[in-house]
Amino acid sequence: MRTARVASRLAPLAVAGIALAAAFGSTTQAQEGDPIKLGAIYITSGAASVYGQYAQQGLRLAIEEINESGGVLGRPLTYEIEDSQGKADTAIQAARKLVFQNEVDALVGLDSSGVATALVPIMPELQRPLIITHAATPAATGELCNRYTFRVSANVNQNMKAAAHIAADTGAKRWTTIGPDYAFGHESWEFFGKYLKELDPDVELMSKTAFPRFGNEDFTPYINNVMALKPDGVLISVWGGDLVNFVRQANNLGFFEQDMEILMTVGAATEVLAALGDDMPEGVWLGTRYWFDAHDNPINEKFVKAYMERHDAPPSYNAEGAYAAVYAYKAAMEKAESTDPEEVAKALSGLSFEAPNGTITFREGDHQATVGPTWGKTAAMDEATGVRSLDPMRSFDGKEVTPSVEETGCKMK
Amino acid sequence: MPALLVVLLAALAALPYFAPYFYIFVATEILIMGLFAASFNLIFGYTGMLSFGHAAFFGMGAYACALLLLHFEVSLLTAILGAMLASTLLAAAIGFLSVRLGEVYFAMLTLAFGMMVYAVAHQWRSLTNGSDGITGFRLTEFGLGLDLQLFNPAVYYHVVLVVVVLASLVLYLITRSSFGLMLRAISENPERVAFCGVNERRHRLVAFIIAGLFAGLAGALFAPFNRVASPDMVHWTQSAEPVLMTILGGAGYFLGPFFGAAMFVLLETWITSFTEHWMLLLGIALALLVMFFRRGVLGTLLDKVTGR
Amino acid sequence: MQSFIAALLNSLDIAMLLFVIAVGLNIIFGVLNVINFAHGGLYMLGAYFTYMLVGRLGLPFWPALLLAPLAVAAVAVVLERLVLRRVYDRHVTDSLLLTFALLLIIDESVRMIWGSGIHVVRPPDLLRGNVSFLGVNYPVYSLFVILMGAAMLLALWALFTRTRLGRIVRAAAIDRDMAQTVGINVPLVITGVFAFGAWMAAVGGVIAAPMRAIDPGMGDKIIIESFIVVVIGGLGSFPGTLLGALVLGFIHGFGGRYLPEINLVLPYIGMALVLLWRPQGLMGRGAAA
Repeated sequence: MRTARVASRLAPLAVAGIALAAAFGSTTQAQEGDPIKLGAIYITSGAASVYGQYAQQGLRLAIEEINESGGVLGRPLTYEIEDSQGKADTAIQAARKLVFQNEVDALVGLDSSGVATALVPIMPELQRPLIITHAATPAATGELCNRYTFRVSANVNQNMKAAAHIAADTGAKRWTTIGPDYAFGHESWEFFGKYLKELDPDVELMSKTAFPRFGNEDFTPYINNVMALKPDGVLISVWGGDLVNFVRQANNLGFFEQDMEILMTVGAATEVLAALGDDMPEGVWLGTRYWFDAHDNPINEKFVKAYMERHDAPPSYNAEGAYAAVYAYKAAMEKAESTDPEEVAKALSGLSFEAPNGTITFREGDHQATVGPTWGKTAAMDEATGVRSLDPMRSFDGKEVTPSVEETGCKMK
Repeated sequence: MPALLVVLLAALAALPYFAPYFYIFVATEILIMGLFAASFNLIFGYTGMLSFGHAAFFGMGAYACALLLLHFEVSLLTAILGAMLASTLLAAAIGFLSVRLGEVYFAMLTLAFGMMVYAVAHQWRSLTNGSDGITGFRLTEFGLGLDLQLFNPAVYYHVVLVVVVLASLVLYLITRSSFGLMLRAISENPERVAFCGVNERRHRLVAFIIAGLFAGLAGALFAPFNRVASPDMVHWTQSAEPVLMTILGGAGYFLGPFFGAAMFVLLETWITSFTEHWMLLLGIALALLVMFFRRGVLGTLLDKVTGR
Repeated sequence: MQSFIAALLNSLDIAMLLFVIAVGLNIIFGVLNVINFAHGGLYMLGAYFTYMLVGRLGLPFWPALLLAPLAVAAVAVVLERLVLRRVYDRHVTDSLLLTFALLLIIDESVRMIWGSGIHVVRPPDLLRGNVSFLGVNYPVYSLFVILMGAAMLLALWALFTRTRLGRIVRAAAIDRDMAQTVGINVPLVITGVFAFGAWMAAVGGVIAAPMRAIDPGMGDKIIIESFIVVVIGGLGSFPGTLLGALVLGFIHGFGGRYLPEINLVLPYIGMALVLLWRPQGLMGRGAAA
């Protein structure tokens, strides 16, 4: 009967624990003049934590700027961040905590497709607006769309339509891909192929492709395989630390000296370019959701200047996405004259506002911002920033690359 | 003595009425993870086998439940039963191949099989939707003609509470049965047990299958709770969680894993609120707990109470 | 034929790096009976120290190859004396949990000190570029990795079979109490072995630094791979570790080349097949290790 005795001794402990938990959990009602709270969900631990760090830099910068100029509706802004760890269930529990415990007024974040596809469908239960600033899966503003979910950054659909334009212009006919073996890599290749075929029906999309596992450290076999295929063009959707490994190993194998057009879909990421320095060869096409040097407007000028003063490096796309999202909320709350989640979500739909990458509109039909990526060819090192410059460079107009709402499969509820 | 257990259960049952709303979710997660850890402890604490692939059965349960709800729109009860069946079959197959191996090799072989299941979940895109996982399934009814609003977190919490308490009761009775006593004997001295003519390997296998069944049940509760079945739930890092929870709580006690799960989930919930460097604090907390609570936290506390 | 040779050479450099890292893990298990999760963290520390010495302080690579592992070994001495020492008399799972906690602490400390960014270290001038080998373009640095691995292999073999120190360590591994009674200072040996294992992990980290991206996830990536190597080869078996590293190296090198569709799961299939065929690893000592 020892276990029964154990259980009985445990009971008061457990009751005390529950009471303690309740005490920890007690919350206070928000009042007029209290800060407006944003809840942020990013990856802030592990290998991809650099993305959470950048997002936070963007959030902080925007919030401080806004607070210095009087806040929103006369109230200051603040934010709380939770770690998604890049895992769906962790992100969902984090969102519940932010909404129900910290009582945030709105949500911003998401670094991975898997997290987005899991979290977006439960937004109606959380009843808060969510602006996605990084996760690129088309489904979030496609078949999973709902009235609370918005995305300020370019998605795979938009980026691959732009990539297809670049690819068609190179004249290369036989294409293959090297991408991470998960949704992002496969979707990138699928959409790229679809749009490239539309632009140039003569292209051949090779059936032999390479999808090394995400987090792979030695790409040599895959690079050798692709070189043996002798394609005219290669779409590379490997990203982050994997891309750094890939480029250095590809250099060793003479991959970049082959007569091939090379497109890296998330190549113009400052964390990758800064790490690689001149290991990133010249003459490669790099894509990005945002490039600090591509937009000639006062907001971008201010953003880049302020960011570089603080962090001594050019802002990455993830910092810009988070920065833009805060300004989107500011615009929406001022338009709604309220921080009420329902009102703010309504105001966001169809809203246009100024962001570093130009005037952005959340389409009413699917809540996707009509934004286009920037693509550029690597050129000389820029000594001031320590990354390669892009020349020629092409920023796509959102209208040019955003498919119609019907095509996205979104039925707004 | 049983009275105090009743008080604990009553407090848990009443939790939605006095705790802050978010703690309904926290408590649901603790119960599910507690059951997951308790199922693991049947083979670890009671039989002496350290499995590093227990998430295979948890994940199998989650996927089977999600797929049944998505494609066949069955009741939750049917989905849970289907999930338990699927996990049991998987556990029988993996267990059949693994239980004959010695300690560390057993851990690594179960890790290998667990990662194979992960790979299937991750790569079989037409069935499992790959890395994005399965979402968008609907919870229509519980079954048994009960009219439960499963989308209400408090209702779902109560469902989980009842299921977990019933399952724990069954697990507890198993550990007290002659079969359970035999498992302990095996973990303490396998040679002697074998010498007495007991088929030691078959006992291990049965324990492994039962553990897989209950891990599958935990997974089947977890997928509807988070509205998703994703490959993360099958990854080895998910297998590490019941190991941590069980050792932290105390593997020698039936309620140890539940206690460990509560500590683990609460620690994570609190630490992540006030620092981004939660991994550092969690690491320090874990290290201190292992160093100074050598029979697990629950075990050590009880030793203090009973003056041992 | 060329593609076969390319895959072979590629497998060899992966294998030798894995060997250098995993052999430290196996020695620690053999003597301390500790499954050291923190090994990945110590490997990562080796790479970050190299980054600091070479990338930040501008030192050449060669002194870093000497200094970084010594620094990591010093960290290991502190960890062993303050933390690990307390759990030797307990079940192996306690040390597993404790080293897992240490891995969390090292991971996050690295992120706090060096940030979350991605860093690279450039190979020394001597080791840059390619050589042509049987018609295959092969990086000089990979050749260096293979040579380093081979050198470590010989040095370790000599250490364990030809020196008094090696015999003391082996005695301590076989029977601690017996070793103590014949006058061996076992606690000192244990600290030394843990520091030595950490030193090996860090040497792996230094060697990896010029070829692998340095980021806060690199320690987690290597640890399971190292476990696989040790288990395929057999716990406590030194030649087994070499064999295990070669098997896993070939799985990566040839698997990525000829079976890319299942590259995610190949190492696990390999390990499962080995264990089903030989339950104690290829060269392990008996089933109940």
